[in-house]
Amino acid sequence: MSDANFSRRDFIKLTAVGAAAVAGTRLVKEARASSSSPAGEHQWAMVIDQSKCTGCNYCTLACQAHNDTAPENQWNVVSEAGEVGGHKTYIARPCMQCAKAPCVEVCMVGASYYRDDGIVMMDYDKCIGCRYCEAACPYQARVFNWEKFEGKNPAVPEWGSPEVERRPRGVPEKCSFCYHRIDRGLELGLIPGVDADATPACVGACPTGARMFGDLNDKNSLVSLVLKEHASYRLRDDLATGPRVYYLPADPKEMDTEVKS
Amino acid sequence: MFTRFKRLSIALIFALAAAGGTLMVASAQDATPPAPTPQGSEQDCAACHADYQMSWQSGLHGQAGDDPVFLKAWEDQGKPGACLICHDTGYDPATGISEAKGVTCLACHSPAPDNHPANNMPVDKSTDLCGKCHSDSRFASDNWMMSAHYQRAMTCSVCHNPHSAGMKTVEGFATTEDASSLCQNCHKDAMDNFPSSKHAEAGVTCVNCHLGFNVGSADANVDFADAHKAPDHSFIPTLETCNKCHSTQMHAPGQSVAAAAIKIEEAGGTSTPEPTPVQVSTLPVTNEPTPVSPVGYAGLAGLVGLAAGMVLAPWLERFYHRVSKQHQHEEEHHE
Amino acid sequence: MIAKLRAKFPTTTPWITWLGALGLLLAIGLTCGILIFWRGLAITNLTDLVPWGLWITIDLSSIALSAGAFSLCAAVYLAGLKRYEPVARTATFIGLIGYSMAMLSLMLDIGRPDRFWHALVYWNTHSLLWEVTMCVCLYLIVLVLEAMPILAKLEWLRKRFPKITAKMEHVHHYAPYLAIAGLCLSMLHQSSLGAVYGVLKARPFWYKPEMAALFMFSALVGGISLTIFASMLSARLTPKARVNDTLLERVAHFVGWALVPYLYIRTWDWLAMTYTYQPGRSEGLDVMTKGPLSFNFWIVEILFGAIVPMILLLKQGTRQNRFWRMAALAMVVGGVIAYRWDINLGGFLVVVSYLPGEATVAYTSYFPSLVEIGAGLGVIAFGLMAFSLGVRYLKVVDHRYVAQEHETVKSEAPETVLA
Repeated sequence: MSDANFSRRDFIKLTAVGAAAVAGTRLVKEARASSSSPAGEHQWAMVIDQSKCTGCNYCTLACQAHNDTAPENQWNVVSEAGEVGGHKTYIARPCMQCAKAPCVEVCMVGASYYRDDGIVMMDYDKCIGCRYCEAACPYQARVFNWEKFEGKNPAVPEWGSPEVERRPRGVPEKCSFCYHRIDRGLELGLIPGVDADATPACVGACPTGARMFGDLNDKNSLVSLVLKEHASYRLRDDLATGPRVYYLPADPKEMDTEVKS
Repeated sequence: MFTRFKRLSIALIFALAAAGGTLMVASAQDATPPAPTPQGSEQDCAACHADYQMSWQSGLHGQAGDDPVFLKAWEDQGKPGACLICHDTGYDPATGISEAKGVTCLACHSPAPDNHPANNMPVDKSTDLCGKCHSDSRFASDNWMMSAHYQRAMTCSVCHNPHSAGMKTVEGFATTEDASSLCQNCHKDAMDNFPSSKHAEAGVTCVNCHLGFNVGSADANVDFADAHKAPDHSFIPTLETCNKCHSTQMHAPGQSVAAAAIKIEEAGGTSTPEPTPVQVSTLPVTNEPTPVSPVGYAGLAGLVGLAAGMVLAPWLERFYHRVSKQHQHEEEHHE
Repeated sequence: MIAKLRAKFPTTTPWITWLGALGLLLAIGLTCGILIFWRGLAITNLTDLVPWGLWITIDLSSIALSAGAFSLCAAVYLAGLKRYEPVARTATFIGLIGYSMAMLSLMLDIGRPDRFWHALVYWNTHSLLWEVTMCVCLYLIVLVLEAMPILAKLEWLRKRFPKITAKMEHVHHYAPYLAIAGLCLSMLHQSSLGAVYGVLKARPFWYKPEMAALFMFSALVGGISLTIFASMLSARLTPKARVNDTLLERVAHFVGWALVPYLYIRTWDWLAMTYTYQPGRSEGLDVMTKGPLSFNFWIVEILFGAIVPMILLLKQGTRQNRFWRMAALAMVVGGVIAYRWDINLGGFLVVVSYLPGEATVAYTSYFPSLVEIGAGLGVIAFGLMAFSLGVRYLKVVDHRYVAQEHETVKSEAPETVLA
C-alpha cells in the first residue's frame, strides 16, 4: 500500500512538472502570432479619395486579373455610398490589412499572420479551411473557395495577367496589397506607390488617380502628405482594428469641378 | 544462383528506383524558369505571355503589317518608308530595314531589359508613346490633349486596350459594340437624367456628340483612307456637332446636311445603352429577415389541441348525452 | 446474399430493424460524405455570409451532450459520490461516442480535411479554436483511457487478448487522475466553445462574456440529461440494460436544480439585449425572438428546453414517474441543441454593413442542403449505432456491475430494479 502511494505521488509530480515544462516552452516561443502587427521598416497604407472615385470598377477588374481570382470572389468590392451634393459616391473596399486584425487572432493554425510591413498575409498551405477568419472579419473582406476556380479568367489579359498562383479549393482568400509586386519592386530598386510595377494593381488601374499607396514611415510619401493635409476616415473605426486603408470623404466642391452633363 | 523470382524482384527494385529518380528529376525541371530569350520576334514573348499574344493577333495592332487593305494601298503608293515607321516595328529610315513586321511587342515595350523576367519590361502608358504613331490631328492625340481626361492625367489605355487595339470591356465582359457604355461606366451621374431626355429617345448616344468626326476642322482635309481618321478625342461638342442634326433649325449656315439625313448609325450606336450597373454588394441579403415559418407554431397548436381535446372529451361526451336525452325527452313530451 | 441473410436472421427482431435503419442512415451519410470530399463544400448551402451551419451545430451539440462524462466522473472520483459510478461509466462511453461524432462532423466541415493534422502541429496560441482543438484532442485521449475498462468487457477481446484486456481494466485504478484531467480539459473547452463566438467584436450579437458561461452551463445540464435519458431508454427497450432507478432519479433531481441558474442566465442574456439599440445585436435578437428562429427559441429552447423540464424535474411526482422524467430529459437535450442552432444562426443571419455612417443591417437566410442533412444524419446514426452496440455487447448501461473498489460503499437502493 505504501508503495502504491509513493508511486502515485511520483506520478502526479512527474505529470505536473512535465506539463509545466511543455506549457512554458510553448508560451515563450510565441513570437509568431502576437496580438498586433509588429512595426517594420515600411508601413504600407492605401488612401482612397472618394471625390475622385467614379465607381468604374477598374480596380476590381485589375485585381481579378493580377491575382487570378474567380469573378464571384472579388477581393476588392466597390459599393454605392450614398449621394453628396447631388453626386453619387462610391467606396472601394480592399482588405484593410488591420494592425489588430481579428482574422489573425482567431486563425487556429496561424495561417493568417502579420508581416513586418503591416500586410496581413495568408499562408494558403497551412490553412485548413475552418472559416473562423471569415466569421471574424468585420469588413467581409475574405471570400472562401467553395470550389476551385477552373477555366479561363475573363479579366485576363485585358486587365492584366496573373502574377500569383490560383488558390486551391477549401481555403479562404483575400486582398494581399499585392505583396508580390511590392517585394519584387523593392528588389529591383523601385518605390511602391511611385513606380507602377511595385504598386498594387488596383492603384495603377484607377483612371482618376483615386487610389494612392505608399509608406507611412516615409514622411514625404504621397500617402503621408495626403493624410496630413486632408481629413480622412477609416471604416468601422469603432472596432479599433487599426485598418491601413484611409478614405478621403467625398467633397462636393471638388466633385463639381468635373464636367457633368 | 538466385532464383528467377529473386532476380525479377531485384530487377523491379532497380526499375522502380530508376523510374522514380527520373520522375523526380523530370518534374523538377518544370520549376526552373525558361532561359532569357534574345530580343526579337513576338514568338519569344508569346512563350510566357500567350494571353496577350492571342488578344493582340486578332486585333488591329496585330494585323497592322499584314492587313491586305494596307498592303495594297502601300504598294500602290510605291511602298513608301514613311508608312513603315508606324506599320513596322523599329523601322530604320536610313537602312530601310525593320526589326519586325507589324506592330509587335517591342514597338511599345522597348527597350527590353537584359534579363527579363528578372527585370520588368517597360510599360509606358503615356499619351506620348501612343502618340508616336497616333499623332497629330489625324489620330486624335492633338485634340485628346485638349480634353479634360488628359488634363487629369488619364491615358489612352483608360478606354483602349492597347493589345487588342479595341475598347476596354466592362460589365459582364460582353464586347461593347458601342463605346458609349464604357463612357457611362465612369460617368454614372450623367446617366441620371440622360435616358429620359429627347436625345436619348431619338437614339443618340454619348459618342454621337462627344466623339464626333468634326467636319470642317483640320481633319476634313485628310486625304488618307478612313483608317487614318479618328473622331475628336477632346470630347468637347462644338456647334458643328449640334449642326450635324439641327442645322435646319439653326440660324447659321454651315457645312451641314439635313437633319435626319445623318444616320445615327454612322456615328456609332443605335439605341440608348443601358447604364453600367455598379458592382454593388452581390451578397444574398434582404432588407427584412425571412418571416417566421408558421409550420412550427401550427404543429404545436395542433398538439395542444389534441391534448386539450383528449382532456375535454369525457365532459363533452356527457354534455352530448345530456343534450340528446333532453331532446329525446322533449320529443316524447310533444308526442 | 439474401438467402444468407435470411439464414442468419430468421426472424426480424426489433433489434435487427433498428440496426438496419441505422445502417441505412449510415450508408446515406457515407455517400454524402464521399460527395463532400469529392465535390467540395460548394454543394452545401453554406455561403460566405453563413460559413457555419448544420455540421457545426452537430459538432457543438455532440461536444455539449458529452459533458456528462466529465461531470459525472468528477462527481464520482473527486467528490466521492461513489454510488453513481455505474452512471459515470455510461456517461464516459457516451462521451467517447460524442467526441467521435464531433470529429466526424468537423472533418466534413473544414475546407481541407486532408490537413486536419495541421491543428496539432501548427499552433496559434491566441486562437480560441486552437485551444478548443488542443483540449478536445487531449480530452479524447483521456476519454479513451477512461473507456478502456468498458471496452475490456468485450467477450471477444477477453478471449483473444486476455493480458491486454487485464491491462485495460487496470487503467481504472488511475480513474481519479483521469477525472482531474478530464475536469480541467472539459471545463476549458466547453466554455471556450462559447468564447469562440464571444470574442468576435465584429458580431455584436455574440460579443459578450456570458457566452462562455452559457455554453458551459448548457453543456452540463445537457450532457447529464442525455446520459440519464439514454440509460432509461435502453433499460426500457432491452433486458441487457439494467438501471437503478433511485440513482437516476437523484441525478435527474440535480438536473432540475441545475436548470434554474441556466434559465436565469439565459433569460438575462436575451433580456439584456433588448436594452439600447446596437446594430447587429438588436437585429439578431429580433431574428431570434420574432424572426425565423423564434419558434426554435421560444418553444424548443426556452419553454420545452428549460421551463417545462425544470418544473417536471423539480416536482417529485413527475420526477418519480419514469415517463415524465424521460420526457423532461429529452426536452433538455433538445433545448441544448436548439440553443446552439439559435446562437450560431442568430449571429450569421444578420449582416452588418461596413460602409461609413450609421451601420445598416441586412438579413440573409440559411437552410441546410440535402447533402448536409444526409451527412449529418449519418453522423447521428453512427452515434446511435455505437451506443446501441455498447449497450448490447459492452454492458455500458448496467447498474448491477459496480467496480470492485466501490463495492465497499453501501448503496441506499434496496436492490437493482429493471426500469
